[in-house]
Amino acid sequence: MATKKGKVLDTVKSILYGMAGHDMARFALKTRGSMEHLFILITMGDLLGIPILPPYYSLRLLPYVVPQISTWKRRMLRERDLTDALA
Amino acid sequence: MSLAQIFQEHPERRYIMFGGKGGLGKTTFSAATAYWLAQQGYKVLVFSVDPQASLSDIFQQDIFGKGAVEIVPNLYAQEIDADRHIREYQDTIRKKILDMYGLEKVPDEIEDYIQAAAAEPAMEESAIFDQVVDIVVGGEYDYYIYDLVPLGHALYYLSMASVYDQWIQKITKLREEMEDYAQVAALMRRDEELEEDKILAELQDIRYRISTSSSILTDREKTAFFFVVVPEEMILVDTQKAAGLFAKFQVPVSGYIVNRVIPPELEHQDIPEYLRHRIQMQKKYLAEIDRLFSGAVLARIPEFERDVTGLDMIRKMAEAMFGGAA
Repeated sequence: MATKKGKVLDTVKSILYGMAGHDMARFALKTRGSMEHLFILITMGDLLGIPILPPYYSLRLLPYVVPQISTWKRRMLRERDLTDALA
Repeated sequence: MSLAQIFQEHPERRYIMFGGKGGLGKTTFSAATAYWLAQQGYKVLVFSVDPQASLSDIFQQDIFGKGAVEIVPNLYAQEIDADRHIREYQDTIRKKILDMYGLEKVPDEIEDYIQAAAAEPAMEESAIFDQVVDIVVGGEYDYYIYDLVPLGHALYYLSMASVYDQWIQKITKLREEMEDYAQVAALMRRDEELEEDKILAELQDIRYRISTSSSILTDREKTAFFFVVVPEEMILVDTQKAAGLFAKFQVPVSGYIVNRVIPPELEHQDIPEYLRHRIQMQKKYLAEIDRLFSGAVLARIPEFERDVTGLDMIRKMAEAMFGGAA
């Protein structure tokens, strides 16, 4: 009985999340993703030929951003048009 | 006030620096001061932050890149090998990348970046700056004597510290904001606890290192900065400019030492006209120095009859600087 009640509660929570929280979570993640790219730009700008600041310390951060670098480059160098504003 | 008095009255000033234009005797004074302090029973490290270091020459012993080398009891000298430090640093970064992602080889794009970054002009200075933190934070010595780079570089070194500090502050803030967003998302999605942001931890460590290094340079209690001058017009003009800039960066200047003073008693001897003129010229600028830096001129060091290299000459120099009472 207790497990059934728990399941119902979980389902209700998920529905509520879908109605109210999902968009907010998506927005938060999207903002964080943009900031991540901004962060890489500031620290690893040299990769695009934009030396922003000290290479000594940006090297220290390099290992942590290795997986994001290719998506970041794609995003930075991609052509943009009006539909971007709608995304 | 004499140089020896400054040291006796302020034993808490453990970080000693000599600054001035190139070739005026900064390394000589650093070595002689280290020698004098070691004779007094203090454990002293004199180290060079100059990529073209000359401590090896003055001690007539190859110490480049060998860590702290004991020259005489209590006196240690160190020259930082920036190139090697950079190479080791690059290797650590590569190894970290391989370990973190279980790769066999660093991706080309990343490898290119690692190599390009090391070729940046600021790299060498940053590497030395960073290593100084390790040396100084160790706290093994009673005195740390910085054999500083020529003035322009020293100022660059200081301004670099403040720029770095601001830069790191800004990106740390950005990183913290990112963390907030990630937390909001995690909360909404009822995720398990977030993994700690390792980048933030690195940034905080970098910031700690930069502020440690630069706060020593500007610490009024623990640091004594001495300007080296010689009685010549150009040097005086430059030193005044530099003193102004140092004041802007809040470097505590403890006093001025005049080097290369031709012994005035020579004037009463039978000397060539050439030397007489030089003595007269120096007299004029010595008076000017006393006027400009009144009360802060701690010593006048005579021009020696030969180069100051080797321990015998360093001892002589220490006597000239601090007096015979060792």
